Amino acid sequence: MTLPITINDQYFVLHQSGAIFWVRENVLMISDVHLGKVAHFRKHGFAIPHEAVHENFERLDNVVHFFKPNTIVFLGDLFHSKINNEWDLFATWVTEITARVVLVEGNHDIISKKHYSNLGIAIVPEMVIDGFLLTHHPDGREGYFNFCGHIHPGIYLRGIGRQSLRLPCFFQRPKQMILPAFGIFTGKYCLTPDTEDQVYLIAKDEVIPINTN
Amino acid sequence: MNRKQLFDIAEKWFSNQGWKPFPFQQQTWTAFLQGKNGLLNAPTGSGKTYALWFPIVLNYLKENPRSGKPKAGIKAIWITPLRSLSVEIKQAAERIINDLELPITVGIRSGDTTAVERAKQKTKMPDLLITTPESLQLLLATKEYPKLFQNCSTIVIDEWHELLGTKRGVQTELALSRLKVIAPCMRIWGISATIGNLEQAREVLLGIDSEHFRNSVLIKAHLHKKIKVRSIIPEKMETYPWRGHMGLHLIDEVAKIVRESKTTLIFTNVRSACELWFQTLLEKYPEFAGEMAMHHGSIDRDTRLWVENAIRNEELKVVVCTSSLDLGVDFAPVETIIQVGGPKGVARFLQRAGRSGHQPGKESVIYFLATHAIELVEASALKKAVAETVVEDRAPYLNSWDVLVQYLNTLAVSDGFLPSEIFKEVQNTFCYQTMTPENWNWILNFISNGSQSLQAYDEYKKVEIDENGCFRITNRRIAMQHRMQIGTIVGDAVLNVKFMSGGYIGTIEEWFISKLKPGDTFSFAGKKLEYFRVKDMQVLVRKADPKKESRTVSWMGGRMTLSAQMSELLRQELYAANSGNVTPELRALAPLFKRQRKESIVPDADEFLIETFKTREGHHAVFYPFEGRFVHEALASVMAYRISFLSPISFSLAYNDYGFELLSDTEIDLQAVFDNNLFTTEFLHHDLQKSLNATEMARRKFRDIAIISGLVFTGMPGRPIKTKHLQSGSQLIFEVFRDYEPDNLLLQQAYRETFEHQLEEGRLIEALERINEQIIVWKPCQKPTPFSFPIITDRLREKLSSETLSERIKKMTNSYMK
Repeated sequence: MTLPITINDQYFVLHQSGAIFWVRENVLMISDVHLGKVAHFRKHGFAIPHEAVHENFERLDNVVHFFKPNTIVFLGDLFHSKINNEWDLFATWVTEITARVVLVEGNHDIISKKHYSNLGIAIVPEMVIDGFLLTHHPDGREGYFNFCGHIHPGIYLRGIGRQSLRLPCFFQRPKQMILPAFGIFTGKYCLTPDTEDQVYLIAKDEVIPINTN
Repeated sequence: MNRKQLFDIAEKWFSNQGWKPFPFQQQTWTAFLQGKNGLLNAPTGSGKTYALWFPIVLNYLKENPRSGKPKAGIKAIWITPLRSLSVEIKQAAERIINDLELPITVGIRSGDTTAVERAKQKTKMPDLLITTPESLQLLLATKEYPKLFQNCSTIVIDEWHELLGTKRGVQTELALSRLKVIAPCMRIWGISATIGNLEQAREVLLGIDSEHFRNSVLIKAHLHKKIKVRSIIPEKMETYPWRGHMGLHLIDEVAKIVRESKTTLIFTNVRSACELWFQTLLEKYPEFAGEMAMHHGSIDRDTRLWVENAIRNEELKVVVCTSSLDLGVDFAPVETIIQVGGPKGVARFLQRAGRSGHQPGKESVIYFLATHAIELVEASALKKAVAETVVEDRAPYLNSWDVLVQYLNTLAVSDGFLPSEIFKEVQNTFCYQTMTPENWNWILNFISNGSQSLQAYDEYKKVEIDENGCFRITNRRIAMQHRMQIGTIVGDAVLNVKFMSGGYIGTIEEWFISKLKPGDTFSFAGKKLEYFRVKDMQVLVRKADPKKESRTVSWMGGRMTLSAQMSELLRQELYAANSGNVTPELRALAPLFKRQRKESIVPDADEFLIETFKTREGHHAVFYPFEGRFVHEALASVMAYRISFLSPISFSLAYNDYGFELLSDTEIDLQAVFDNNLFTTEFLHHDLQKSLNATEMARRKFRDIAIISGLVFTGMPGRPIKTKHLQSGSQLIFEVFRDYEPDNLLLQQAYRETFEHQLEEGRLIEALERINEQIIVWKPCQKPTPFSFPIITDRLREKLSSETLSERIKKMTNSYMK
């Protein structure tokens, strides 16, 4: 279900949904939800199952209910494209939660800022909290540990007998943690870890650290 | 004009050319002029084109007498699966038209037709239209399309055997179902090479139990060509065969044949072999430089057209190619054919053999070059095949929902359709004869709602239903999107390769590029190229230093398997090795068989051989059904799965056309395998599903299905269009369907096609039944046997570079020879 880790003497909890909870700050970080992606495709005539739409909100509910954070920070790509009916579902969801919501802008976030401010959601280009830099795109700035998204990291596992699996993962580099994509229908980009990297893969309902050798 | 007068015109024209019409041509003219439909079975280069162009032209004369004003619009359509063939077909028609001085226009409409030409055709369609199945679909996507066909007297489907058993064949069936209704007087004719199921081919073409079928004939061109198969046998036969140099060590023999012949086609089985052979021939025999070319499916289209023209004009001495040249160059004289490696199928082999030596009555010679020793058994088998003419069936598709979705969207884009009308038309096709009203309604819901029921918040937009119940696509953007998608029946994950300075070379699969670093050199299309980078889904390269070491491009796709007929012949030939009755090929294999019999056996008809041995890689268990790689892949999966229930053992699998291997770090208890009847056909389907491979394969099959049915927008293959946030891989769509809509017909189709086509479930069951009738002979060996060698060395190929591979194999051979 979850895996606690330490970074720079701070406690973080990795959740199977792809979210990270920062214990001291009571902040829940979620990246690349891509709400509205299914609706966007359907609007353009691609029949992606509509049932998939509700799954994202169920996942959000589950993880928020689990950690009950004071603040939720979305590390970009909260909404996939132009506004569509899924916005109404999102608006409803926002009004039902008590946490403060912040969106760190990502490349897909093209919806006009006023829609977000109407819901009381602040939009920022980045966030800095005590030596930790929260962005959408990976940022290697000196002196900070970077939490980011955008990549939709995955890991490619090779088994014997020509078996292979691609699984989403938290990809940690010495000064950076790339969060997996939270949303359904988001795809993965497989990364190859170096020896100093740490990979936590998400398999079914577990977060599993793996040896990178 | 009566029939005799029309016939006389034809006979006169023939004699003016110095030809005499064949009986099959005259039979076709007669049947045609009687208003019949039909299927003509005639091979390439037999004059099949004139068999049908003539009656079409004669019929035009009859219907449009010189005195009156000719009717407007298309008079006849000629469908060819290959764009490059259209030129030849056009020339054949124009020859007749010019000689008879008739005012008939001939035009080609395909992916190669320019925009200017297309605009001209819009105002005035040519009398005779030569086009592809995809372009025919595009015509059905134009507004008021029935007007185009109202004076159409004939449609000819050329190379029907090529279309049959593919989704383009299904596309053709659907198009015909529509044309039959809007042009009821139109005759339907097919031309097919010899296949095992010609009668069925006629049924598929004309519709089961239809008017058209009842008023039809099957005409066979009995052109008995004498075919001689000559094997190029090396003087020294290797005892341990491996798919190594691909027979390249016999290149001197090949050069000799090429030199002595006017034109030679060298057929290879895969594109990478084609590249390797071309390179090696050029390096060793630079004398061929100006008159040599390469031709395969991934080479840029313009280059391929150039090569085809050059062959027609007899400018080339040798062309190295793949099945890409099986079709086409109908009228070109090719003197010699060399087949490198087993052709995998009898029909393919016979067709190629028939291409050589165009003088009537003269013998056709085809040379067979085995790429490793055991392939000589295939050569031996092929000789029998030539004598007995046992050819493969081309099994037609059933219930291809993806093609139906595309077709209905096409009708929706042009004039719209009424479901009740179209349902009947579609149900009368061979492909959809078992379609139920539930299936049909599912599809209608899919295209209009994007799901099976209306959902809250859903903004799906594609096909809309107007007040008359007519299904239409009214949104212009969606209509354009669909038109771009029509005809993308086959899509590979390929990237276009072009010179930085401009000029396209061809396409390469993505995975190959992903292994390259900037500066790496590779050989492609006969050129040494240096990889620069990928930009906008295009691979930019520049000419590399010809002396630099380079790797040859290879492709994953397009792997063929031994056909059922071929594998049956192969087994028979192998069993014959135990009798005294041996061909020169089998005799040459004597040292190999001797070594094989040392620790193991050469199986007899009633024996099923299993060998086990240990190497530093682990414990090997090799099984020999001789049933083709696809069946072996499936069987290996199932066996591994079943054995894993007896003990927690994990395997590495390997397979080729002759057998399969399970490799693990612990020994398999084979006795337990026999005792537990693990070769049973019971639960086969279930076990196939459970093995992981089936899902992977279904995922791959789904890629094509997603593209065809419009779930994925790809733009042009290799040159994709950037769409606003609409890019998605079919893999992702597969997963989302699997998780949220598992009973989706398109998803199920992927699994069904996997089991039927990829895993060849029917053939697999027959193989298991045969094995169950045989005595199992288990030979525990100390060392790998010659039969096992190709399989175990194939596995190494994936790990080692070609140099280290041959070194390693040399070492292995030396130690096993002791």
